[in-house]
Amino acid sequence: MDDLHRENIRRVTRRQLFGSAGMGIGSAALATLLARETAAADTPGQAGLPGLPHFPPKAKRVVMLWQGGGPSHVDLFDPKPALIERGGQDVPESVRGSTRLSTMSSGYAKWPVVPPLKPFTKYGRCGTEMSTMLPQIGSLADDLCLVRSMNTEAVNHAPGVTFFQTGSQVPGRPSMGAWMSYGLGCETEDLPAFVVMTSSDKGKTCGQLFFDYYWGSGFLPSRYQGVKFRNTGDPVPYLANPAGVSREARRALLDDLAAMNAAHLADYGDPEIDTRIAQYEMAYRMQASVPDLVDFADEPQHVLDRYGPDVRTKGSYAFNCLVARRLLERGTRFVQLMHAGWDQHNNLFTQLEEQCRDTDAPSAALIQDLKDRGMLADTLVTWGGEFGRTPFGQGDPDSPKGRDHFGKAYSFLLAGGGAKAGHVHGSTDDYAWNITADPVHIHDMQATIMHLVGIDHTKLTFRYQGRQFRLTDVHGHVVKGIIET
Amino acid sequence: MACAQCHDHKYDPITRTDYYGLLDAFNRLPETGTPTKFSARIRVAPPMVELPTADNAVHLAALEAEMKAVEAESKPVIDALYAAWKRGLFADGTPADAEDLPGKLPQLLLTPEAERTDAQKKETERSLRQFFDSTVKRTLIKTLPQEAKYEAARKALDEYKGDQVPLLMVMSDDTPRDTRILDRGDYLSPVGEKLEFLPPAFLPPLPEGFPRNRLGLARWLFLPNHPLTARVQVNRMWQQFFGTGLVKTTEDMGVQSEYPTHMQLLDWLAVEFREQGWSRKRMHRLLVTSATYRQSSRVTADALAADPENRLHGRGSRFRMPAMVLRDIALAASGLIDLTLGGRPVYPYQPDQIWEALAVTKERDFTYPTSHGADLYRRSLYTFWRRTVSPANMFDAANRQTCTVRASQTNTPLHALTTLNDPTWVEAARVLAERSMKHTSGLDGRLAYAFRRVVGRTPTAYDLESLTRMHGRQLAVYHDDAEAAKQLVSVGESTRDESLDPAEHAALASVCLAILNLDEALTRE
Repeated sequence: MDDLHRENIRRVTRRQLFGSAGMGIGSAALATLLARETAAADTPGQAGLPGLPHFPPKAKRVVMLWQGGGPSHVDLFDPKPALIERGGQDVPESVRGSTRLSTMSSGYAKWPVVPPLKPFTKYGRCGTEMSTMLPQIGSLADDLCLVRSMNTEAVNHAPGVTFFQTGSQVPGRPSMGAWMSYGLGCETEDLPAFVVMTSSDKGKTCGQLFFDYYWGSGFLPSRYQGVKFRNTGDPVPYLANPAGVSREARRALLDDLAAMNAAHLADYGDPEIDTRIAQYEMAYRMQASVPDLVDFADEPQHVLDRYGPDVRTKGSYAFNCLVARRLLERGTRFVQLMHAGWDQHNNLFTQLEEQCRDTDAPSAALIQDLKDRGMLADTLVTWGGEFGRTPFGQGDPDSPKGRDHFGKAYSFLLAGGGAKAGHVHGSTDDYAWNITADPVHIHDMQATIMHLVGIDHTKLTFRYQGRQFRLTDVHGHVVKGIIET
Repeated sequence: MACAQCHDHKYDPITRTDYYGLLDAFNRLPETGTPTKFSARIRVAPPMVELPTADNAVHLAALEAEMKAVEAESKPVIDALYAAWKRGLFADGTPADAEDLPGKLPQLLLTPEAERTDAQKKETERSLRQFFDSTVKRTLIKTLPQEAKYEAARKALDEYKGDQVPLLMVMSDDTPRDTRILDRGDYLSPVGEKLEFLPPAFLPPLPEGFPRNRLGLARWLFLPNHPLTARVQVNRMWQQFFGTGLVKTTEDMGVQSEYPTHMQLLDWLAVEFREQGWSRKRMHRLLVTSATYRQSSRVTADALAADPENRLHGRGSRFRMPAMVLRDIALAASGLIDLTLGGRPVYPYQPDQIWEALAVTKERDFTYPTSHGADLYRRSLYTFWRRTVSPANMFDAANRQTCTVRASQTNTPLHALTTLNDPTWVEAARVLAERSMKHTSGLDGRLAYAFRRVVGRTPTAYDLESLTRMHGRQLAVYHDDAEAAKQLVSVGESTRDESLDPAEHAALASVCLAILNLDEALTRE
């Protein structure tokens, strides 16, 4: 062995000790990490990382009601009398400053204020003001935490959604749900830990495409990616047995198959074979548990009514909300419900109210259902999108048709899971344009959501291409002000 | 190197200048990323070249001829229309709608016909016809049957051209862009002097006379003293055949990478690769004929504890094969596989509505055009791949959003559902069953034949006993349920020999499906 090689080996040992452990320095951390890599990999219904959660979680489950396209904070959540008084007048330069807008409106010469479409009202004992277009969500105000100071750098949908879900505007990083599955493992053996469902507004007039990297695993192993339930056919591809194969015939076949695999395990000794046997068992169970999940026969009528008239329509927002509740009850940790329909550039005056009508009842029903079952306390519900919308109108300045994307300030709702109930956090100026108190950046919201599930966002990392990556990159602060103490 | 897009690399000796110096080799493409519509299905971003096949040329010629024929047919009608329009223009003595006519036409027409010079007459006629063809004609001929025919022929030609003629996306170096360091990677903040391609400073310098472009980069990469190219490549080959590279972090060979388990072997393989004229095929042969590769994968508890990941290669490596390979194995075992080399992408079985969920616009066709016949059974390599939706049965495929050289290999229940229920596998199983039924008549012989075609070895007495028991149980099911048997043996498009007893066939098909799902069949060992 030459000196160079010897030197390399010496340096490697030190580097491994200090570098690849990632969760801390020292041989103890390294040992636990190695133990997990070899022993626990690929075990279905697997445990998470050792040492996680980092502290007792307030939320055991998360359901993200994603309102894609950018719901208008100006019309729904952030009441500004000034906007009513100054309708039609330009948003002054002193307010606009150097705000980055989308290229659809950045070249405008006029910035005519469009007042909120409908009045606001005080809801609940806490008196939080929200639009009269969201009466059902409003009726739960005492359970809600309304953040009026969200902000993002993104000016367009795909980068905006990618930023919220993965911590980077450029695709390629793991999504929040993937990080949680990776860190915390899976509670259920019959269903995936991380499930995604999609829906869109009925007319598909404001739809945005949902790319699978919004729930992807990025550089984490792909088993941590969200399992997307399909809206047609089987929710999970290849769930149903082939034509002519009964459940009994399949059971018999799997028993015989397992016996042969077990014999092979005895011969070869590779524990991966054991994993394979378990995986086939779980597949068999999923064939029963998934159809059961989307079969609402056991739901009482008054619960179905709560979700509104669309609840029986597969692939609708209401249907997905109810499936979400059923998933959470059965142990799924992260449900990401992606709804497209808020991108009202040209049809705000007709579509906004329609969109509110279609999503208000199902959203509220889900929260109420969780509450009735005693699950809201440890289930975090989020409601919101990638950005808000401009206080000024888009299109012909004399008769605007809608509002453009706006990320400098917007609103976001949380409920349950340790979020401070009946609370409003942050504020904006007279034009709902600039944040005046307690800004919450995307990375801050991510850090806070991770905190609520018991994860220190600075400590959950993964080594990729030579460095440790995390959801919040090098940013993000837990927003203590929106956490129930 | 991506770190150095914003700042000098924290660990590796890669500077921002290195990053942008390398970028310059590629920073000369006219590509804008804006796709052009080619057909109802296809949008492609230039630059590209059309590469019509011989078959394409025949089709194109036929479509063009048809267009010409319709054109010839409608010419007299259009000429007559023109004459009528011209007459109409002067119906009341003075030219009507003069203000709508372009250029010098109004003035020309106001000159009485008798007073026009020959040149003016010619000019008038030419301009009128041009105006008629470009503007007036369209509204006049809209309702003509010839026009509808012509439009149809033109559409057919365009659609065929856009949809069927292979396009090759190319690079074109005609207008180099200025490359400057971008401050913190921000494309709005270029700083410093213009850079020209140079390799990173810590690697061998670009020899005198090498062009400062992609050609220079390519030649530089294959310099005999380049320390990385060959090592990186042979390490990836090792990963492909042994599951893990000699350097585990195949995507990172810098100071943050894992140290090679067998450094001298890596060096030797790298030199061998170079000296064998960079022949990948020779390297593959070298690897798979090695004693290391041909070892048994059996492992004792002690050996497993001592080296759980088999990094020291004390036994043959064992890992689940990629989904693309598993599909090929199933097709090959059944004999369905079509091994034709090259050709157009194909659209094998996929769940319903696999693409339609992504249809954001009605203008574009998002239906999945399922192939038929031999195209259903081509190697997985030829499967059409939509970037936003990977084929549902190719689990663990790279997501194609970032560069991946180490695809993840995971085992989830969804994979089991795929290889048990996807018509691809079910059809392969029932065709394999048919094949073994025709191969021999005894059950033992049939089971052994099917087993060997999938697993590659003769079944042991235990294997046969197990398969026989499995077969017995399945046969009982299908004896009782002839309808179910018929359904199972009809999965997939390929024809079936109807003289085979459906219950027998279905039972054996079930066993074949189980064989395809044996751990031994899914795993390289």
